[in-house]
Amino acid sequence: MRIGTLKESYVADAALFDSRTQHAWLAIAAVLLVLFPFIASDYWLYLACLVAINVASATGLNILTGYTGLVSLGQAAFMGLGAYTVAILQTRYGTPMLLNLLAGGVVAMLGGIIVGIPSLRVKGLYLAIATIAASFIAHFLFANFEITGGTAGLSLAPARVLGMDLDTSFRLYWLIVPVTVLMLLGAANLFRTRIGRAFIAIRDRDISAEVLGIALLRYKLLSFGLSSFYAGIAGGLWAYFFRVVTPESFPLSMSIFFLAAIIVGGMGSILGGILGAVFMTMVPELLKLLVDLLPGGASLAVFLSPVRLVIFGALIIGFLVFEPLGLAEVWRRVRRFFHLWPFRN
Amino acid sequence: MDQQHFSHPRRNFMRGAAAAAGAAALTHPLSVLAQGAEEIVIGGSIPMTGVFAFAGVGINAGIQDYVKIINDAGGIKGRKVKYVPEDTGYKVDVSVATFKKITSQNKVNLYYGDSTGFSKTINPELERNGNILMAGASFASELNDPKKYPNQFLVGPDYTEMFSILLKHIAKEKPGAKVAFVYSDSEFGRDPIEKSEAEAKRLGLSVPIKIMTPAGSVDVSTEVIKLRRAAPDYTIFHGYILAPIPEFITQGKQQGMKSKWMGTFWTMDSSTVMKMGEAADGFMGVMPYRYYYDTEKAPMLEKIRAMRPEYQSTAYMQGFLAAMLFLESAKRCLDGNKPLTGANLKAALNSLKDFDTGGLIGVPITISGNSIPVGRVYQADVKAQKMVAASDWIKL
Amino acid sequence: MMDWAYLFEISLTGIASGGLYALAALAFVMVYKATRVVNIAIGEMLMAGGYLFFTFAAMWALPLWLAIPAAVLACGLLGAVIERTMIRPLLGEPPISVFMVTVGLSSVLIGLVEMIWTADQRRLPEFMPTNPIMVGDAFLAPKVFWGAVIAAVFIAAVLLVFRYWRGGVALRATASDQAAAYSVGINVPRVFSLAWVASAMLAAISGIIVGSIGGISSSMGVFGLSVLVVVIVGGLDSVLGALVGGILIGLVEALAGAYLGGEYKLLATFVVLVVILMARPYGLFGTHEIERL
Repeated sequence: MRIGTLKESYVADAALFDSRTQHAWLAIAAVLLVLFPFIASDYWLYLACLVAINVASATGLNILTGYTGLVSLGQAAFMGLGAYTVAILQTRYGTPMLLNLLAGGVVAMLGGIIVGIPSLRVKGLYLAIATIAASFIAHFLFANFEITGGTAGLSLAPARVLGMDLDTSFRLYWLIVPVTVLMLLGAANLFRTRIGRAFIAIRDRDISAEVLGIALLRYKLLSFGLSSFYAGIAGGLWAYFFRVVTPESFPLSMSIFFLAAIIVGGMGSILGGILGAVFMTMVPELLKLLVDLLPGGASLAVFLSPVRLVIFGALIIGFLVFEPLGLAEVWRRVRRFFHLWPFRN
Repeated sequence: MDQQHFSHPRRNFMRGAAAAAGAAALTHPLSVLAQGAEEIVIGGSIPMTGVFAFAGVGINAGIQDYVKIINDAGGIKGRKVKYVPEDTGYKVDVSVATFKKITSQNKVNLYYGDSTGFSKTINPELERNGNILMAGASFASELNDPKKYPNQFLVGPDYTEMFSILLKHIAKEKPGAKVAFVYSDSEFGRDPIEKSEAEAKRLGLSVPIKIMTPAGSVDVSTEVIKLRRAAPDYTIFHGYILAPIPEFITQGKQQGMKSKWMGTFWTMDSSTVMKMGEAADGFMGVMPYRYYYDTEKAPMLEKIRAMRPEYQSTAYMQGFLAAMLFLESAKRCLDGNKPLTGANLKAALNSLKDFDTGGLIGVPITISGNSIPVGRVYQADVKAQKMVAASDWIKL
Repeated sequence: MMDWAYLFEISLTGIASGGLYALAALAFVMVYKATRVVNIAIGEMLMAGGYLFFTFAAMWALPLWLAIPAAVLACGLLGAVIERTMIRPLLGEPPISVFMVTVGLSSVLIGLVEMIWTADQRRLPEFMPTNPIMVGDAFLAPKVFWGAVIAAVFIAAVLLVFRYWRGGVALRATASDQAAAYSVGINVPRVFSLAWVASAMLAAISGIIVGSIGGISSSMGVFGLSVLVVVIVGGLDSVLGALVGGILIGLVEALAGAYLGGEYKLLATFVVLVVILMARPYGLFGTHEIERL
């Protein structure tokens, strides 16, 4: 049971992980992440990579929507910008992988800043609808230009690192997961700094934040830029993972997926982004497993696709109605239980 | 105090970690050994639900039936055939995931894919695997490239070849005619347009207008006005299944257009065309296979009709034929004592010269590249609720 | 040399198809006006109406005068259920939460439609007159014309209702200040239900018309995105704005499609959206929201 937390220095107070238990958990998690690719089959490795990419993108969206309060339905479009940048650089210029990823992030960031410009004039739902417009404009750009391969899209050769092709899920794991972990740590750190606190202030009451001296437009644009930078890198990883990029790869429904992920996971917390992305990616797979296990599963399989849609929608509605703070809140309750045990509260 | 502080969370975590490791190990390729030693495995990412479900269900039944016919006759050189399908809902990421799942649980020799997107995405994986020959529901021209897609083939003509068949028919019926193209704003729709326009000019036809409709558009009145003003003799629709073709035809007829209306493979299933109602009368299109109810002599069709008394769609025919070509390639490989690798299977497929499909396709076929450039023009007879042949089998 | 006849014909068609947008936009405005909820599932409610009509008219072969009211009433019931189960519990929450609930709702509706009727495209039975409408030399498709007429009739009716009927006034009162409406004795929860039921019924009518033009399918809901643009342009809470916005967007789409090409239709619509958001964020006729701390 945890009784009190005594901190003796500012550094200790501001630390992200402050107790020995947390350090132990982290160490175990790190060991598991390292061991995982050696014990998992190709299929689970594939899922792990996909989950990691989704976690990265969801965290980006969390920065914008969860922490700054600016609802965005354009996350998929920014991922597309990043993915296409990587694809174009890789196929036309053969530039090294890390450079491509960074370039993808930067291009997406610029796109995000442009989309964020109306955010001073329009707020809330109007902004959300403006981001939908951005989604469609991006799709138009991808589908109608020579450089992006038109509606057929682009195919990529695998990323080359130290003379080795990253063409299996096993190898890509070692690229995707460390990048995602870095991005997560970056996001967590962001909210210990002045910039992070400014974001939270904007979310809570932006007029008051302005009165306190926070330059609204600058910080809102920064938030858009950061979140789309994350989306761009996630999109670049996506491009290296799937190795085919088409305009249909980043539809509006993907943006809705990410928004649903952070709602279900818990807006405004890094853990929420992780939980939400993992949960929403794994639910269809779990559903398939369930259908396989049930007797008469074959005839039920016909309903798999629509049931997925219904469950997706029902999850969003259910969490909003019953647990608006998401899975992260559920997790916190579990932790509180263990912290206070054997007492109740 | 400190000991208790550590024990609970750590113990729970250890339990959880053990469970996770166990679960991961269960899906390990160790399970591959569970499969029968000398089976020929056909894997499938089949769209049995979602927007393509009508095709997916048919394809699934077609493959199943042919596999049953072969297994009942003793298999291929004594080896039984196993068909392992999974539903994808016509989503590319799900298709890729099912591919990974099926190939990690079975030693797959032949695979059926559900879309152009999937075929393109999985191609590098196919090349790396090297042991699989793949076909799919897609007829995309891009896939008809043996250099870029060496382990894949199309179960019929590609979309550009479909257009060519129609254009050849038009050039014969009415030389110098005006042909309008109406297509959807998608990769599917845009695929054959450019090359087909060139082909039309080569055949002495003119293309007065090309109209692209945005995906999911409801009201096409503006487009019909543009079409009417171009006054074509023939209008070819591509990139659609049903909508918005009936609306185009109805409004076009109301405005006094005299054009003949034509479509490509995915519009041409009997039930789809009949859904158009009155507008369907005289609707023509290219179909590489015979229809379920065709009365010409076709031993395979009779077998299918015996197995399945109710109407089977053209998607069923596609699945059936795909399985036939798969297993014929496998048979030729084994006949030549060659191991079942992707390259050998493809070579066996390409060795098919004047191959008799039992009447599914009306003429013997030769597969020299990645496609089967044969088709026939059928026309809708609304009174009889059937599609009737309007031309001979056209080979490109 | 400008082909005026062509321009006239295109514009006429554009305006008429704008009427279709206006009807769906009216359903949206109805909900926003009364409950301040942005219902992004409006396209899917339209789809539900179309499918219900299909069930009654084609699957159960009911006569038209029975099938249409039955579909409209059934959809109204759906609207009431949605309001009670998903919208009412979120009464005090930030608007973004309710918005996300409607996003979830659209998924649920699509899934339900696919489960019950499969994802195949279908055609609705024909019931509108088929004689083409001619204005001079310009041709207008009959379905589009009659759809626009029906839309205009309903918009006029709703405008009158809001002005003169007690229920309409109660709706406006609830929209402007819930607490005050309560204290004056207006049964606010009942007004909410009424608004959603009316909206669902309008959506059903719109769905039947749209479905009879383009057929019904489980992806019909994307129509809702264009409707969203229409209401932003017209003003989220303005009935007149729904009409004007609908006509404007219909015209823009038709002109873009005719002179630029089909791929520019949606782009033009969204460019108009962005321009309006920058210039007049509350739309042409919407009420300016004053933010209070």
